[in-house]
Amino acid sequence: MSKPIEQRRWGMVIDTRKCVGCHSCNVGCIMENKLPPGVVYRPVIDLEVGSYPNVNRKFLPRPCMQCDNPPCVPVCPVKATWKRTDGVVVIDYNVCIGCRYCITACPYQARTFDFGQNWSNNAASGRDGGLALETGRKYEQEPSFEYGATWRRGDGVIPKSPVGNARKCTFCVHRLEHSQLPMCVTTCIGRATVFGDLNEPGTLVSQQVIRNNAVSLKAELGTAPKVVYLI
Amino acid sequence: MAFSSLGTTHRAGRERLLWALWVLAAIIGGLGFYERLAHGDKAADFSSYVPWGLWVAAYIYFSGLSAGAFLVAAATYVFRIRVLEPISRLSLLIAAVTLPMGLLMIGVDLGHLERAYLVFVRPQFHSMMAWMVWLYTAYLILLFTMLWVSLKSVQPGRNPGAVTNDLATLRVLGLIGIPLVIGFAGGVGALFATVAAREYWHSPLFPIFFLVGALTSGTAFLTAVVSWLWPSRDAAWKELVILLGRIVLALVLIEFILEWAEFSIPSWYQIGSTYDLIRYVLFGPYWYVFWLVHLLAGVLVPVLLLAKTRSPGIIGLSAALVAVTFFAVRLNLVIPGLITPELRGLEQAYSDPIGNRLTFAYMPSWFEWQLLLGVIAFGVALWFVGTRLFPHVFPRPSQSSEVGQ
Amino acid sequence: MNQEHETQKVSRRFFLNACTALAGGVTLGVLGCQRHEQQALNVTTPGPYPLADAENVIQTTCLQCNTQCTLKVKLQDGLVVKIDGNPYSPIALYPHLPYETPPKEAVAVDGAICPKGQCGVQTLYDPYRLRKVLKRAGPRGSNKWQAISFEQATHEITEGGQLFAGIGENRVAPGFKDVIRLRDAKQAKDLAVDVEAIRKGEMTVEAFKEKNSAFLDALIDPDHPDFGPKNNQFVLQGGRIAPDREAITKRFTFGTLGSVNWFGHTTICEQAHHVAFMYSLAQWEQKDGKFSWAKGPNHMKPDYTRAEFVIFWGTGFNEANFGPTPMSPRVSQAIVDGKLKIAVIDPRLSKSAAKGWWIPVHPSGNFALALAMTQWIIGNKRYDEKFLRSTNKAAANAAGEKSWTNATWLVNTKTGKFLRAADAGVGTANQFVALVEGTPVAVDPSDTKVPVVGDLDVSTTIEGIDVSSSFRLLKEAAAAKSLAEYSEIAGLELAQIEALANEFTSHGKKAAIDFYRGPIKTTCGFYTAQAIIILNFLIGNVDHVGGFMKGGGAWDGMGGKPGQPFPVAKLHPNALTPFGIKLTRESSGPYETSTIFKRDGYPAKRPWFPFTDDVYQEIIPAATAGYPYPIKILWLHYGTPVLSSPAGHLQIKMIQDTEKIPLFIATDIVIGETSMYADYIFPDLSYLERWSNPLGTSPVVLSQISKFRQPAASPICEIVTIDGEDMPISIEATMIALAKKLGMSGFGKDAFGPGQNLNRPEDFHLKMIANLAAGDKPGNEAPEADDAEMDILRKSRRHLPKAVFDERKWQDAVGPNWRRVAYLLNRGGRFEAASGAYEGDFAKHPWANQLNIYIEPVGSGIHSVQGKRFSGVPTYQALESFDGKPVSSRDEFDLELITYKDIYGGQSRTVGNFAGQMAIMPENFVYLNAIDAKRLGLSDGDTVRVESASFNGSFELGPGQAPSKVEGKIRIIEGLRPGVVSVSYHYGHWAYGSRDVEIDGQRIPGEPARGKGLLTNAAIAVDGYLKDVCLTDPIAGDSAFTGTRVKLVKIASASGPPAPIAGWVPAGWAVR
Ligand SMILES: Nc1nc2c(c(=O)[nH]1)N[C@H]1C(S)=C(S)[C@@H](COP(=O)(O)OP(=O)(O)OC[C@H]3O[C@@H](n4cnc5c(=O)[nH]c(N)nc54)[C@H](O)[C@@H]3O)O[C@H]1N2
Ligand SMILES: Nc1nc2c(c(=O)[nH]1)N[C@H]1C(S)=C(S)[C@@H](COP(=O)(O)OP(=O)(O)OC[C@H]3O[C@@H](n4cnc5c(=O)[nH]c(N)nc54)[C@H](O)[C@@H]3O)O[C@H]1N2
Ligand code: SF4
Ligand code: SF4
Ligand code: SF4
Ligand code: SF4
Ligand code: SF4
Ligand SMILES: [Mo]
Repeated sequence: MSKPIEQRRWGMVIDTRKCVGCHSCNVGCIMENKLPPGVVYRPVIDLEVGSYPNVNRKFLPRPCMQCDNPPCVPVCPVKATWKRTDGVVVIDYNVCIGCRYCITACPYQARTFDFGQNWSNNAASGRDGGLALETGRKYEQEPSFEYGATWRRGDGVIPKSPVGNARKCTFCVHRLEHSQLPMCVTTCIGRATVFGDLNEPGTLVSQQVIRNNAVSLKAELGTAPKVVYLI
Repeated sequence: MAFSSLGTTHRAGRERLLWALWVLAAIIGGLGFYERLAHGDKAADFSSYVPWGLWVAAYIYFSGLSAGAFLVAAATYVFRIRVLEPISRLSLLIAAVTLPMGLLMIGVDLGHLERAYLVFVRPQFHSMMAWMVWLYTAYLILLFTMLWVSLKSVQPGRNPGAVTNDLATLRVLGLIGIPLVIGFAGGVGALFATVAAREYWHSPLFPIFFLVGALTSGTAFLTAVVSWLWPSRDAAWKELVILLGRIVLALVLIEFILEWAEFSIPSWYQIGSTYDLIRYVLFGPYWYVFWLVHLLAGVLVPVLLLAKTRSPGIIGLSAALVAVTFFAVRLNLVIPGLITPELRGLEQAYSDPIGNRLTFAYMPSWFEWQLLLGVIAFGVALWFVGTRLFPHVFPRPSQSSEVGQ
Repeated sequence: MNQEHETQKVSRRFFLNACTALAGGVTLGVLGCQRHEQQALNVTTPGPYPLADAENVIQTTCLQCNTQCTLKVKLQDGLVVKIDGNPYSPIALYPHLPYETPPKEAVAVDGAICPKGQCGVQTLYDPYRLRKVLKRAGPRGSNKWQAISFEQATHEITEGGQLFAGIGENRVAPGFKDVIRLRDAKQAKDLAVDVEAIRKGEMTVEAFKEKNSAFLDALIDPDHPDFGPKNNQFVLQGGRIAPDREAITKRFTFGTLGSVNWFGHTTICEQAHHVAFMYSLAQWEQKDGKFSWAKGPNHMKPDYTRAEFVIFWGTGFNEANFGPTPMSPRVSQAIVDGKLKIAVIDPRLSKSAAKGWWIPVHPSGNFALALAMTQWIIGNKRYDEKFLRSTNKAAANAAGEKSWTNATWLVNTKTGKFLRAADAGVGTANQFVALVEGTPVAVDPSDTKVPVVGDLDVSTTIEGIDVSSSFRLLKEAAAAKSLAEYSEIAGLELAQIEALANEFTSHGKKAAIDFYRGPIKTTCGFYTAQAIIILNFLIGNVDHVGGFMKGGGAWDGMGGKPGQPFPVAKLHPNALTPFGIKLTRESSGPYETSTIFKRDGYPAKRPWFPFTDDVYQEIIPAATAGYPYPIKILWLHYGTPVLSSPAGHLQIKMIQDTEKIPLFIATDIVIGETSMYADYIFPDLSYLERWSNPLGTSPVVLSQISKFRQPAASPICEIVTIDGEDMPISIEATMIALAKKLGMSGFGKDAFGPGQNLNRPEDFHLKMIANLAAGDKPGNEAPEADDAEMDILRKSRRHLPKAVFDERKWQDAVGPNWRRVAYLLNRGGRFEAASGAYEGDFAKHPWANQLNIYIEPVGSGIHSVQGKRFSGVPTYQALESFDGKPVSSRDEFDLELITYKDIYGGQSRTVGNFAGQMAIMPENFVYLNAIDAKRLGLSDGDTVRVESASFNGSFELGPGQAPSKVEGKIRIIEGLRPGVVSVSYHYGHWAYGSRDVEIDGQRIPGEPARGKGLLTNAAIAVDGYLKDVCLTDPIAGDSAFTGTRVKLVKIASASGPPAPIAGWVPAGWAVR
């Protein structure tokens, strides 16, 4: 209970053999963090390899790699993004100026920009009559709790963050603080995602990251991801 | 066709037309600014995967113009290049007009413009972008000081001693300015080149390429302005324009050599992702931007014209072609670096059915052009105010332009 | 720095266990709550997170698809913002939490659910959700509406009259009061008995008329009393009605209104699978002194976690089926552990096929493949002979088995019936006969004392009757074609078929075949299903660990078990006895005993379906044809037959006909593709706002489980007052109001008996939950909620209006059972511990009963159109119309069309799920193998129109509407059998918010993104005999989704060359 943040090192292992490409982590994350359209933290890539009849499909869920050498961090002109000592690369929505430099710098395209859209933007709007035009959209105004804060998005001349910010997977630190695993882990249909403290020798993550079939994406770049794949 | 060939009434009519066009541009642009303030970047077509678009290209274009024009002026003062002396103040004014245009452009591009000051409060020394901001600020201060001093030096009745002093000051400021400008002109290149994730950008040639590009476009722009708007149409003017034309020609050629290097090296054995992107630039859906706008209108035609002609009008036209089409070069530097999924299949993994923000296809929207137009209108206004405020950017007319013809 | 904060609410031990459960052994490590320097984001003190509080959680059940997973719904400011899996349940967490875990502790754990489940918030809060009753303000289908009060609406449909005079329709529409003519329970019962006598040939129509002359005007047609009362002219057509709200709508239709015409949608779903199981598992049972075949359960599944080899035949574990949420973790883990090998038989490389051995069968080749495997297994003696030879329970037990088959029973080959022991002179008329070393012996299947082990492969003559054993008949049927011929039809190499059969029979009892819609959506679907089930029986895998399982079962919600407080079916004083032939002639006895048989003989004008029910695609065509009788009121609930049925578009014209369907009402949550043609649409509550009856689950779960839906979200629908009771509009509210207006039984005051009213939805639904709480036998009761739990129950419902949650009313509904009920409500159901799965080498909840190789009821039944006997064992047959003519099409239609469901799409219901379905795939594609694309000169992204022999690519929708076009973009892939074109479900909408509607004179724009993509159902082949409905299996009534050939007509080229795709791929994945 008393482990200081410096001694923790969160890591994630995604077993692509177990991943069934269901997109549950993808959508679960969207709903958990109340992500608007255009913002996605964990898309799931569906690749076809080979040719008929020797063909197969591979699935690659892609959260933020929480790189140990995160190329997204040094580019930020205002130090709005940094790597915490527990390994989570965070963005301070209250500082980010929305220049999107970090988005270009991430080799995994793990960052997206919040343009201030809502899911119900293109639906008919107006007062409720026979239909729920108004009540139906209320849930979209509810705040999210990323980084353990309360975020009410808003448009306007000075947009309310995280509108106008770069956004990315947070490793669900707001849930970790409440002793809950990240959403994409708990809702993983294939039970393909494990999460834990890499500094704890007993955890499944610690055991799995050193497996023979463990790989990092674009290891050649030296970003040292803390999300590792079993292939 | 040279500006001065028109008759007075004709000219008045023409001026009214230009005014009307400006007002139109200002209105359209103004509406764009309103949209931007009220609804953010929603109407823009750049996205989460192509996060930089027309505006960023325009920003580096304008800042390049500024840098190029400034370098001409600074060189004049520092190296005491006599022939260029008459246009030094003009160069400074051009630099002083185009830089705010660029900054305005990048300002609206930010998600939180109101926080831009944080770049000074929370300095990040690793960030090329932070460095750019600091350099621009320093440059902006320097530029305005130089403009002020240089204008002061040609104030009627200024005593020669003071003028000498002024020139000395300018020389020192120019001396400081040259590395500063080289720093930021190249730095913009570095801003892209240091992004290791983007193979297309990640080239050591980029800063030099950008620097030469800044010089080329800035000088070309200056040349066009001198050839068209210079009040006196005398032999000196003609010589000046011819000289500028030569410089532009040389720069275009150097730029082209660099471009050749930039394109040919990664493509030589026809493998690799940069090759794919270059092929995309050359033969992809926007092939015409490279072949027609850039190569034909921006290199081939001007080079042929500049090499052959001694007519200031045609030189002006060629230089204008170079300057304007250079925008295409900027677009082709920024956009293709972003249009490839970093991981295969990402383009189909998840989309944005509301605003289409998760796509690798980018085509500047009307809104983006609208704001660009607004920025140009803003620049024209600045220019207008600048030339009214400081008529001395142009030497006193020795004869009316009509007489020259 | 580094000061300690004690913030942990959950005990650490518990938490670690939970994590272990969650991520298969992962522990989250030790969580500290340390403050770290100034930077705000480096603080790890728990921030605000209301979703981790048990007071913001309600457990209920999903219905984004029919897997019906158990949910944990999370609330924030009174709104549902997040949905997760209920950790108490084995569906969402494997293994699940102990049932006793207090909600305060359980809240730390989230179970897993699929992407559709995750996106349910957008179904609930769809801006196009209906709030008020809409009445048509233009011709049917014009999408012009008027919002009216609930009171006006229920009044109008009760009374009938010139309801649409306002828009110039002067016809008189019937009201419920005109249709519900037989109102007396005793009368109904007497008439029912007499009609039964007619069917049995014990009474003539004339005698009937004479006896019942006073009541003849209550009948549809006195000359055909077997049509039943006029009440039958009320038809309830339910889509996703079962098992969701089956109990209450059946109560209403059967008991209250006295109509036989209650329908689910199973024949467009997978009825052949169900019916084949029900007959394959039918038991010879004695009831009221008479013996008959009692149909068995409709589903068995492989024991995925312990099996060594599982074949997924036209289904998978990850996309649809029953379904990704409970199956994927079990199957995935077993595969990765190297314990399980799977084969997937599917023309399409599904996400499931990607995890195993893909067998790209020809879409019309499944039956041939099954028979080839049967032939090979029999020929090579790879079946479990010992298992097959046990004829009864005693023999099974002696052989160390739980179940037994009728493989050795002798069949009279002339009649298709089993030889009875009486006829063989060895026993009674209710016993069967097997040869034991050549001697006929009586077989009593349920006998536990005298084991009879029969001869398997025999044929002989007994008492002059030619008989063969069931097994012999199977063997002969499987030999109808040679292996080479079968392999040709299946489109697979013979060696591959042999390898598959060999593998399947190489794991003893630790192998099984799972199948669902893929192989059976064809006119021989029943036989195909039967053949696949028999393949399982042949290896004797039933009930064995690693074999074929019936699942853990559920508690009885209907209250039929001793000690349960509310036997709801019986608690219906004055219930009418519904009688007569159902509109679709399903479950209505053999054609030959009907009065129309006497009139028409063979061929029947429209087919009869004595072996099945829910013949959904036939309801509207039958009503339109007026066969066997015309109808008056159609109530469509939660269904969209026009869109979801093959060739359903033909029904658009039919439902626009106010003569044939005089009153058409619908309950829906939006203006749907079919409800848009209704006269009145009543808003319904979504699955997150309402009750359901108790629900079981598929045999994926091997421990006992019962779940239900309860109101989690505050209702979107208008709150109305019925008889002084406030409640949101829903189908329950509508039924309550109607029954009260009509003065019929079963609803309202004393509906269950004196002092027990049914005035509110919970009056009904909570009673069934009380039955679950009471358990299956005395001593099996659930615990009572303590005060702390009662407090959570209240607090977590603080956002619900009184019209939904009024504790006193809930308590009143169940009386002294309330605290036990509360315990279940807090947990979203009743769940046996995971240890309830196995007992020794067998399932703890085994089938332990009869398995049929030969199905007597079918084998002795007659095809009503062809007048020929069906077969009791699967007999090869190609695609055919009802009249037996083979289905063929011209050469230009050169591609086989198949359809499937994507993991992120829930039927046609999730198009408003923008964060799920629409963002993952904004439109669906016309998938084509690269070989075909090349042959046809098509490129990726080209737009094509889908045409078939019966369909030209577009269809009309109605007045003022642009036609719907079946056009989509090509996507070229390798993972598809060449010659096949596959198009998913879920897209191609023309309503559901995709187009503009007018309400109260105001235009409400649609969202065109919802109309993207295509649905190919309109292209599906039409039956050559009936010509107004799709090809249909005559036994199961199942609609044929397979077998249609189409052509693709290019109408536009892909726009613009694609961006360079140079993206990075993990090493080894870049084979192509
Ligand atoms: N994601 C999701 N899951 C669902 C539902 C949903 O809407 N969405 N609905 C639920 C319901 S109601 C049902 S009935 C079940 C249905 O569950 P399934 O039957 O498993 O699902 P389908 O996708 O209809 O069909 C299964 C497979 O059959 C394949 N197939 C098509 N034609 C043929 C053929 O001719 N031969 C063979 N061998 N295979 C063929 C398809 O490619 C597909 O992969 O799913 C339930 N689960
Ligand atoms: N091409 C193709 N067609 C198919 C299939 C396929 O795989 N491919 N699958 C088939 C299968 S397995 C099935 S089960 C059927 C399903 O077919 P149906 O049961 O006819 O249709 P559903 O898509 O379940 O949706 C029914 C309609 O109910 C309404 N609705 C949605 N939610 C609610 C609610 O909460 N309450 C009420 N009252 N109404 C609601 C909506 O209008 C929706 O359109 O489709 C079949 N059709
Ligand atoms: S994956 Fe991208 S966003 Fe995440 S830490 Fe690495 S570079 Fe930064
Ligand atoms: S977008 Fe925000 S976080 Fe990213 S670099 Fe710019 S300021 Fe930093
Ligand atoms: S860790 Fe949390 S934020 Fe990151 S992808 Fe998973 S759910 Fe999303
Ligand atoms: S939820 Fe799990 S199985 Fe599904 S796509 Fe994500 S990682 Fe794969
Ligand atoms: S499989 Fe998904 S959509 Fe279907 S019931 Fe389960 S959670 Fe809901
Ligand atoms: Mo279904």
